[in-house]
Amino acid sequence: MKPEDVSTAITQALVQGGAQWLVATIVAFLPALWTMTLILHLGRPYVLRTLRRIGLRLGADVWWMSYLLMRDSVLLITFAVSWIFFQPNLVVASDFPITGSLAALCLLLALAVKIGRRVDDDVQAYRLATAFLVLGATLYYIPLVFGVEAADQSYLSGFVSVFVSSQNQGLALGIMWVSLAGVAAVTGWLFFNALASANRSMARQMAKKEPPIQEPAVQ
Amino acid sequence: MSVQDLTNAIIDGINGGGEQFLEGTLAAILPIMWLIILGLHLGRPYVLDMIDRFTLRLGADLLWLIFVGLRDLLIVSGVVMSFMFFFPDIVTSSDLQLPITGGLAAAALFGVLLVKLIGDPDHNPRDFRLVTGLLGAGAILYFVPYVLGVQANQVAAGPFATVSNFLVTSTNPNWAAGLAYVSIALIAIMGAGAAAYTLITGGRAEVPETTSTK
Repeated sequence: MKPEDVSTAITQALVQGGAQWLVATIVAFLPALWTMTLILHLGRPYVLRTLRRIGLRLGADVWWMSYLLMRDSVLLITFAVSWIFFQPNLVVASDFPITGSLAALCLLLALAVKIGRRVDDDVQAYRLATAFLVLGATLYYIPLVFGVEAADQSYLSGFVSVFVSSQNQGLALGIMWVSLAGVAAVTGWLFFNALASANRSMARQMAKKEPPIQEPAVQ
Repeated sequence: MSVQDLTNAIIDGINGGGEQFLEGTLAAILPIMWLIILGLHLGRPYVLDMIDRFTLRLGADLLWLIFVGLRDLLIVSGVVMSFMFFFPDIVTSSDLQLPITGGLAAAALFGVLLVKLIGDPDHNPRDFRLVTGLLGAGAILYFVPYVLGVQANQVAAGPFATVSNFLVTSTNPNWAAGLAYVSIALIAIMGAGAAAYTLITGGRAEVPETTSTK
């Protein structure tokens, strides 16, 4: 083997290995993000309890604002990182939880509930968002723990062959396309909702700015 | 050896080494996290003493908020970082040495979060004792196999070596896998309890106020 061959091999390895490493890191980081998302969402009663005991309005506002920012940004980041489950080549070639894309759809549905309804004031909306998050977490954790992270356990081989995307490519792609259609539908509704909301609020502002029409004096 | 063979060998090395580095780093940071969590929880009387000395209400509120936020966020981070203990392939891997009861320690940490969600450990002495007990049990479950097993298996001799090897996942994979499944079951039950509580209360703080002060 010549020096150029070794150089080529190292270059290719860095490029291909780097890409694989990036995907593997995202996959490894997702359970942490999912757990943070769940804990922050389910921990709302505790945060409210602490909030009640803060004597000053400033402290209460800072506490609530920090909680909301953290909770909702972690939710959004988890969905953004889950986008790897919608890349067909990766779904077929990598060991992903087979229902990872459905879990991501549940995350988006929880986000849509938050955007469409006042989750922090409406108990039913909060319950709906919680149900989507718990369903999504279940769809993510079970194939991850007993499939992807148990590939070397011989007694779980049947489970692995069903619930790992690279082992069950047809089903994995089917679930992915269905979830992608769901994501497209929810995103379309989010766009429509944003436009309608902007139209309403801007129309109100315009109405406030327009001077009242003066009627001619009756003689 | 062809260029492709060399490429594949380097890719395997990068990915395998990277994964082991990540898991090894998490395992190395976890004892520090545990110590800080314990320090913050046990340091509560010191913080309360300081709050009493504040002449301005704003400063007292901010100190308490920062203390509570930091303490609870570290507990959440501890649970998140302990997630590798729930993965059967990791706890049975021969390349990674982990404390054998690390998963149970993580379950105890999750139990602390559950008590904080359902109860009121900052105002109810019974809940505070429960949280302290869970943190103590979790610390024992983490530090005993970590110090006597993972960090002592090369210096232990005779019967101590047997005990030391028993406490490390890589030299006791059957027990490690069994304890991982027990930890998963505990986390699943507690997680279902937390979800059910939140669904029932609709995210509101339902626990009645107690009259004691901070």
